[in-house]
Amino acid sequence: MSAPRVIRARGLVEGTVSGPALVAQEPVSFLGDVAITTGEIVGELPSVKGRRLGGTVLVFPGSMGSAGAWRFLYQLYKHNTHPIALVARVLPDPSVVQGAILAKIPVVCEADEDVLKTIENGDVVTVDGKAGTITVRGRN
Amino acid sequence: MKLSRLDQEMLEGRHGEARRRAMDGLVTLGRAYGAPDLVDIGYAHIHAGMAMYKDDVELMEELAALGATVAVPSSANIANADLVNWRQTGAPEKLALLQQRAAGAHKAMGSACAFTCTPYWAGHWPTWNTHMVSIESTVTIFCNSVLGARSNRDGFFAVYAAIAGRYPRFGYHLDEQRVGTHRVDVRVEPGNVSDFSALGFHVGKQVGGGVAVFDGFKRRPTLDQLDALGAAMGTSGGISMFIVPGVTPPYATSEQAFTGRRPNDLIVADEQGIRETYAQFSDGSDFDLVHVGCPHASYEEMKQYAALLDGRKVAAGVELWVTTSRSVRNMAAEAGYVATLEKAGAKVISDTCPMSCHFARTASPDPALGVEPPSLRGIVLDSAKQAKYVRDMIRCPTLLTSTEKAIETALTGRFVPRYP
Repeated sequence: MSAPRVIRARGLVEGTVSGPALVAQEPVSFLGDVAITTGEIVGELPSVKGRRLGGTVLVFPGSMGSAGAWRFLYQLYKHNTHPIALVARVLPDPSVVQGAILAKIPVVCEADEDVLKTIENGDVVTVDGKAGTITVRGRN
Repeated sequence: MKLSRLDQEMLEGRHGEARRRAMDGLVTLGRAYGAPDLVDIGYAHIHAGMAMYKDDVELMEELAALGATVAVPSSANIANADLVNWRQTGAPEKLALLQQRAAGAHKAMGSACAFTCTPYWAGHWPTWNTHMVSIESTVTIFCNSVLGARSNRDGFFAVYAAIAGRYPRFGYHLDEQRVGTHRVDVRVEPGNVSDFSALGFHVGKQVGGGVAVFDGFKRRPTLDQLDALGAAMGTSGGISMFIVPGVTPPYATSEQAFTGRRPNDLIVADEQGIRETYAQFSDGSDFDLVHVGCPHASYEEMKQYAALLDGRKVAAGVELWVTTSRSVRNMAAEAGYVATLEKAGAKVISDTCPMSCHFARTASPDPALGVEPPSLRGIVLDSAKQAKYVRDMIRCPTLLTSTEKAIETALTGRFVPRYP
């Protein structure tokens, strides 16, 4: 395993968790792109279609779509199919932040580097939403 | 972020756990969006608690159990079952009983059980410069664009704002956000409410999250037309506000609406755009349900439906749903319109609508409720908003037409398209 690397970002929602990264190259609409009971990505997101969100640190460009996003994040949490942290390239919609607070999912955004390029699927990532850091440990 | 003394006290829990939780969420939200402080709000349109989603009614019950009360006039958004006439829709009893529990939570908190996406037709009418919150984008758009109130597209935290009476100052609460970004050149005279819906869907796709300024309406659109326009724009795009100069406070002219900024690409709103929306949502010709009343019908719309159905009869094998808030239903009943509609065989349904009821396949109800969405061949609609979500959530074919032709479809049993 390679040495840990710390990326500085802006912390939005507090909490510290670690898990494997799932990197989506396309903006995510939590209402419509994700099946609640399985956490499977069913929307037209070629980079991650068919993958499951449960237990992952979701790295994505930003959110799009409905103001109902909060309800779907909360439902993923209630069905235990939720991502354990969100790393957004840009500030996500308020509804996403609200859903993450309800579902106790730490969120960071606006990292010092382009996380869509520097974090790979399967990297073990620790997100600290209070400190605003992303620690990447490479793959297990 | 600067907090008032009362904000600080709420955050410290000196006004109870519900207000502490509310203020904690609002402060986190405000910091994320760089809000300098919080503002007093004057109105809140809040989450109903939705029986079609696991543990979602419980979210509202939990707040009520903490002793939460709303600090400002508040109304509840649309729900997942008609709380009174749910048998008419074929909803499972357990689902309806769970939905009724949400009404108990709202009453305990002092919120009006409007259960509608058009609380303004039910008397919740915020005025110019009122800071407010809304969980329903249609309400956000109508209140920003027609009434001149100030609202973001909120989520669950609208209820936190209602409890605290406060909201972080960002987004459409700021003057700088409430200016035009796109100019829409209107080259068509939309003939009816459905045409405004189709036009709004067409324009919304191109505006994204911007503020469209409509130039060229030959006459002032009616309140129902403005409502349909905004609801559809919020569905195909992510808008919170549009501007019709002379209608949207405080703008008298399109120059004022851009306040010196250069608009982005010009958007052409012509008949082709309207036709495209109708075509996009017209699959085949088979259907079992006709629906009007999205967003929930106004009193004027109920009057129109009654005139179209007076003395006539819905065709055998066809269901006609008219959806409206319970308040408007009561006004329409007083006027005799509900009797006219029911005599013609229409079902007048409140608190919900096709895409919000147990028909939805993308929801996640507790399996113990026994929800089994029916298999539908198609739904005839007069609203682009409803059509989009029927497709996405009920996953059945749609047939989009005008209100008059949707009702003619219900009466004849044969689909009547908007354009012959």
